[in-house]
Amino acid sequence: MAKAVIMPKFGMTQEEATIVKWIVKEGDFVETDDPIAEVTTDKVNMEVGAPAEGYIGGIRFQEGDTVPVTHIIAFILAEGEDPPEIEETPAATPEAAPPATQAETHSETTHATPVAQRLANAEGIQLSTVKGSGSDGKITRKDIDLHMGSETAVSTLPKKTRATPAARRVARDRGVDLLSVEGSGPRGRVQEGDVRTIAKKPFPRLASSSLEPSGEPIEVPLEGLRRTIAERMQASYQQAPHITFTADVDMSRAIEFRSFANARLPEGGKVSMTALILKAVAWTLRQHPQMNAYVADDRVTLFPDIHLGVAVAIDEGLIVPVVHFADRKGLYQVANEVNDLTRRGREGSLMPDDVARGTFTVSNLGMFRVDHFNAILNPPQAGILAVGRTVRRIVPDDRDQPIVKPMMAITLSADHRAIDGVLAARFLEDICTALEEPGSVML
Amino acid sequence: MPENRELTYVEALREGLRQVMEKDESVFLLGEDIGVYNGAFGVTAGLLEEFGEERVRDTPISEAAIAGACLGASLTGMRPVGEIMFMDFVALSLEQLALQAAKVRFMFGGKTKAPFVLRMPAGSGTGAAAQHSQSLENWLVHVPGLKVVMPSNAYDAKGLLIASIYDDNPVIFVEHKLLYGTKSHVPEESYEVPLSQSRVVREGSDLTIIATSLMVHRSLEAAVQLSEEGIEIEIIDPRTLNPLDDETIIKSVVKTSKALIIHEAVGTGGYGGEIAARIASSEAFDYLEAPIRRLTGLDIPIPYNRTLEYHAVPQVENIVVEARKLSRGEY
Repeated sequence: MAKAVIMPKFGMTQEEATIVKWIVKEGDFVETDDPIAEVTTDKVNMEVGAPAEGYIGGIRFQEGDTVPVTHIIAFILAEGEDPPEIEETPAATPEAAPPATQAETHSETTHATPVAQRLANAEGIQLSTVKGSGSDGKITRKDIDLHMGSETAVSTLPKKTRATPAARRVARDRGVDLLSVEGSGPRGRVQEGDVRTIAKKPFPRLASSSLEPSGEPIEVPLEGLRRTIAERMQASYQQAPHITFTADVDMSRAIEFRSFANARLPEGGKVSMTALILKAVAWTLRQHPQMNAYVADDRVTLFPDIHLGVAVAIDEGLIVPVVHFADRKGLYQVANEVNDLTRRGREGSLMPDDVARGTFTVSNLGMFRVDHFNAILNPPQAGILAVGRTVRRIVPDDRDQPIVKPMMAITLSADHRAIDGVLAARFLEDICTALEEPGSVML
Repeated sequence: MPENRELTYVEALREGLRQVMEKDESVFLLGEDIGVYNGAFGVTAGLLEEFGEERVRDTPISEAAIAGACLGASLTGMRPVGEIMFMDFVALSLEQLALQAAKVRFMFGGKTKAPFVLRMPAGSGTGAAAQHSQSLENWLVHVPGLKVVMPSNAYDAKGLLIASIYDDNPVIFVEHKLLYGTKSHVPEESYEVPLSQSRVVREGSDLTIIATSLMVHRSLEAAVQLSEEGIEIEIIDPRTLNPLDDETIIKSVVKTSKALIIHEAVGTGGYGGEIAARIASSEAFDYLEAPIRRLTGLDIPIPYNRTLEYHAVPQVENIVVEARKLSRGEY
């Protein structure tokens, strides 16, 4: 009896996942819970386990395909059994998620006028993604139109050039890229003469024209995790007004304290500087609840609990696993969790909850030759701390005599919509204190 | 015969009719008040005396009857020339024209033909108000089987009329009230201006104006003014609207890269749309340097008030402004 393998749903809001790799192939024998495919959501990579024991058959999607959750991706068959015919499910594209049923569920929870609801249904628009402008934030027809308009605008604008047909003809004939031509016509329209002027200019002569090109440029599409990072970082950079504050921290005591902690650590453990910084940040956040916040949808949300994200570089990009309740955990526990999360992040075995609910992020590039850097906010969080390397520098001591100290620059990026300079400055100052006087965390 | 022999548009039409009637017994005229009264605009003056009541026939006030009689007579081998006193009233003969005359040759598999001409003056500018001032040529252009001719000067009027009479299809011959008094060189002998040949009225390099009927004259005036500003305008007169010689137009637009279409008839659903479409869907598209523009009558009935009437249709100054903007790249 064939058993269907469906694309699992790992998160509340997840609607689809992309198949990264088939671990098994047609005809392979698997036992229950054996991993058969690796899939990725916009947050994590996960494995799909076999729901039963048997032989793999009827694999329906290729690696790289994006499949809506609950759609059948393969079957577990008895020996010699053929995969059953199944009704064609919608194509493996994001649009394929059935919009009608979604909109129906939404209609109960989201305020929208009947017309707006009907339009959203017809266009497959999720009402939750539309901002309402009517009374009590009710979504109106205008909002849907705007929403659609902005989507079209975004998708079509970069590709279109204003040019007269004649300019296009000449550009075509002369191999001139219209995008490179400045138009002299109304609204910047490229006229024939503009193209001819460009076409007349001689090609810049290459210094050593005898060199053979090394090959064609390689295009790598923004996909999967890369695409998610790209979209989130772009949105954050464009939407959140970043203000940044840098301070130099004397790390002498922190280094001392870390050695002290490591010397007393149970077998096999290790307190990283990252863990120590996380503890300091968690303690400081407790003093400054305004920094432990989200800025989104025209409101600031302050969180009673502190969940610290740690940026971890992996081969495919960047993930941000979260140490939950960081201020309520001891240094050892934080250190263990960071180590574990980092390891599992690199292995690709993080669970959805491991990357969820972060309220503030720390990005540490101290292991590289980076003195200091500015981090882009991890939306919708209001703050992120960028940590540079610790270097020995000559600084004045109490009596203005030069002395060598391990110094570390930390840079706070804050969302100016919610955080003003003075608040950010005080927050940064307190982190410095927590690191320079590790004992203050005890207070 | 002097080379510069000039006739008015009315005289040229009359001469054309007379010359054909002298030569061809099958040609006869019919219309309201074309005999004793000499026709509302005097086109047929003197022809009753010359050819008699059999060949110059006054009709009752029924445009349907005039068109129907033309069609019937043409089916029996005659080549009648009917006159509709004002083009507005062609509305009453549309059944005969659109449903019968335009179809008969086609539906009988070419076993019969309907060689008649229906002359009619169009246009505003005489204070004749909404029911006597329209330019309805596009109603008739829209009917396959009818030819539509629109001469803009005395020379073309005579030559096109003779060619229309000898054409084996029903020809709608649209004259213009304000052109009747205009003069141009007209040879004395009988001649034909072939149908479906557009004419380059003026050569220029910066902009092509495609204008019909009276608008050819206004465009010429505008072109003279703009020439002083260094803008050289090419003017094309299609002369026959259907079937249209669009090659001449397309060739010109390829040359100038810009097209302005001017007619007196209202813009919406007007002939300018057809010309614009022909240009846009031809090879001329790849040469366009600006949007194709139209300058037409406003979408309103022609007002009786003379000032309003004046502003209801394109005037020389409007053409100057529009042509200047288009040639200077402001669109």
